[in-house]
Amino acid sequence: MSKPVELSRRSFIQGSLAGLTLAFALPMKARGALLFANQKATMLNAFLNIAPDGRITYFSPFIEMGQGTYTSLPMIIAEELDADLAMFEVEQAPLGDDYKLAFGGTMRITGGSTAVRSSYDIMRQVGASVRELMLQAAANYWKVPAARLITELGFVVDAQSGERIGYGMLAPLAAQGKLPSQPKLKNPADFRYIGKPVKRTDSFAKSHGQAKFGIDISVPGMVYATVKKNPVFGKGVRSFNPEYVMNMPGVLGVEPIPGGVAVIADSFWHAKKGLDQLEVEFETSESELVSSESISKDMRTKLDVPGVEAENRGDVVKAFKEATQKLEAVYEVPFLAHVTMEPMNCTAWVTKDKCELWAPNQGVDTFAQVAAQITGLPLEKILVHTPYLGGGFGRRSFPDYAVQAVLLSKQLSRPVKLVWTREEDISQDFYRPMTLAKHQAAFNSEGALTAWQSTLVGDGPWGRLFGLGPNEADRSVIEGATHQPYAVENRRVEWLGHQHPVPVGWWRSVGHSYNGFITESFVDEMADTAGVEPVAFRRMLLVNAPRFLKVLETAIQMADYQPGLLGGNAPYAMGFAMHESFGSIVAQVAKVTLESGQPRVLKVWCVVDCGMMVNPNTIEAQMQSGISTGLSQALFEELVISEGRVQQSNFHDYPILPPHLMPEVAVSIIESGAPMGGIGEPGTPPIAAAVANALFKLSGVRVRRLPMKHYNFEYRMS
Amino acid sequence: MKLLVNNVEYNLQVEGDTPLLWVLRDQLNLTGTKYGCGIGQCGACTVHLEGEAVRSCSVPVQAVVGKRITTIEGLAENGASHPVQQAWVDLDVPQCGYCQSGQIMAAAALLRESPKPKQEEIAKKMTNLCRCGAYVRIHQAVALAAARGEAHE
Repeated sequence: MSKPVELSRRSFIQGSLAGLTLAFALPMKARGALLFANQKATMLNAFLNIAPDGRITYFSPFIEMGQGTYTSLPMIIAEELDADLAMFEVEQAPLGDDYKLAFGGTMRITGGSTAVRSSYDIMRQVGASVRELMLQAAANYWKVPAARLITELGFVVDAQSGERIGYGMLAPLAAQGKLPSQPKLKNPADFRYIGKPVKRTDSFAKSHGQAKFGIDISVPGMVYATVKKNPVFGKGVRSFNPEYVMNMPGVLGVEPIPGGVAVIADSFWHAKKGLDQLEVEFETSESELVSSESISKDMRTKLDVPGVEAENRGDVVKAFKEATQKLEAVYEVPFLAHVTMEPMNCTAWVTKDKCELWAPNQGVDTFAQVAAQITGLPLEKILVHTPYLGGGFGRRSFPDYAVQAVLLSKQLSRPVKLVWTREEDISQDFYRPMTLAKHQAAFNSEGALTAWQSTLVGDGPWGRLFGLGPNEADRSVIEGATHQPYAVENRRVEWLGHQHPVPVGWWRSVGHSYNGFITESFVDEMADTAGVEPVAFRRMLLVNAPRFLKVLETAIQMADYQPGLLGGNAPYAMGFAMHESFGSIVAQVAKVTLESGQPRVLKVWCVVDCGMMVNPNTIEAQMQSGISTGLSQALFEELVISEGRVQQSNFHDYPILPPHLMPEVAVSIIESGAPMGGIGEPGTPPIAAAVANALFKLSGVRVRRLPMKHYNFEYRMS
Repeated sequence: MKLLVNNVEYNLQVEGDTPLLWVLRDQLNLTGTKYGCGIGQCGACTVHLEGEAVRSCSVPVQAVVGKRITTIEGLAENGASHPVQQAWVDLDVPQCGYCQSGQIMAAAALLRESPKPKQEEIAKKMTNLCRCGAYVRIHQAVALAAARGEAHE
């Protein structure tokens, strides 16, 4: 189902990148050492170079943060190039327009679950066009018609004579050919890799301590830095006294940074010890000392104020006037931190004519731009290396830590390795925003749903970063509340922003992370009011959404879903939820029991329709992963603001899902043939609702506020 | 101060209260052991001390002088893969991979002590955090390594 891509749109620089290739040889290799590093490899287009021994380097526009792109993207190329995936190494592509593939070819970011789906068609054509170059080069070399040549996993073979020649040997010749703009693509029925479970290319390195993350970078002559910003958002430093700290072992300096201080030392530990002892007086401002409680209270007052229209169908007002029964529920979700396992870090080396960064990032262009701004150097003089990311989840699209590293290196005129403590990481995040939602439903005298109105209150990252036009709703807040698949004649979604000083950002699945929970909980509430079993209620409302219905039925069958309270003396219940996000539809059934007043999720059945798939192995892993994140926010996660600052500091007071609470997960993938959907995020949104819906069956308590640790559940009297 | 890490003896100049983690990472350049929290909560820094799993961020280096320390880089003897590492690769456990050195060290220590753990024991004793939530495959890989029965060597 691939649509043609105009290849001439991209420059597909031929040959000319050989020098750059060497400059960008990152210290990270997918596996082992590059055996033939001294021999010249040939750059065939912006994405591929092939060494004489046949090793292929893929210059990836997307980063690897666990989601498996360093496997799925080479798979697509290898498929059409007819090359052995084992011959691939992945490196980060340099800066350049050729690598802006996400969001309609406008940006280079790894986010929004876009890596594979935004580049699938292009990568197929990249592979196929280079394969045709190889065939033509061999035909010229052997002076035989190209028509009698075939390819076989990295070789061109003369079907008549049986002669073989490797892509590596042909590469210099092939580079002189003209890239075909409309190469012949493989018939999907002949796929060797795509759609098959393929092993990750990075498992070995990551299981042997060999994978290099940003925090592992070492540069000759570097010093270490760690920082503390004013924990009160937006406030600066009044004064600091470096005297005592400067005499501590290994401490080389104390430097101001915007809003905070940095201690420079000969090791991270010395820097941290110094920072712990540093006397700093931070600015305060009593009037701005907000709390989660005060923000929530203020936001609550907006729930009854008319908001910006985000979606409107039919006449909601009329339907509510004529209703014989109404339902209203207010939901609230807290701020959340990302807590990537690898704390924020960046190594920077600023000289007068160059700036080199080793920065775990989800958007290299942004990082290069801030470095250019700070140093005053042109973009061509900025070199950003992107190692493996120890988690991203949206946090590493913000370059604040790189800004600090570049400033420090510029101030000190030497390479600086900046590593944040976990405490800084939690107190200086761009948080999943606290959000409130009021959902209302109207029913007629037959108990049928006639109208559904949703009002969302809260600022989201989209509006904060890009601004909003008049009467424009923040799409990062309303996503997942709008575009419901359910057939309801009158539907309205409104949004109201709420300014507060807490920084907000993209957190795995963004607005869907709470709208999945809220809308799918409310659907169960509506079913209850209508007196219909929740899954049967959804079936009734999915009459116009066959794709959703198929996902629902597959999950129901797979889980052997049973309504009601089950298990006799060992009670449990099954909760259902489904949600579309990033182009994929995910349904989850959660089997839940109670343990010490809290939900204990025993098993999750998860069905995903991602349209079409590249690597079912990593899709399964991402569904497990998404469920773990969703369950973590459902059960535990809550970042509390008090006196203008974050109250949590580390994993002891910001707990995430521990291993013993991870349920068994069964995953099923549907390829409906719809446009390819994302995979990194869609597993997260439904699970909290699936658990909440099971909890209602078990306890009669409707969870309207996360995390669930605030509740004490007891089995309902049957 | 003398340290024995992965069967290599090092002579180091370091204050005794420095956590073992930072000696390994910043002085010995053994960066496979990771920093995650610094307070012994997450387990990303797990290494073996005389064969037992410890969280190296919370162990002052002076406490381990003369003791046998093993990191992820030294887990496999003769440069090959330890059975736990093999199971990790076979089941494609890692996602971002940052916590996996610690997970593997914890698993290897668990299997040395209890070569055939039941599922409940694996769930109870594997306490390292993973933000990617690779827990399902982590548990499967520990069980696989146990079933193959070579991990206690």
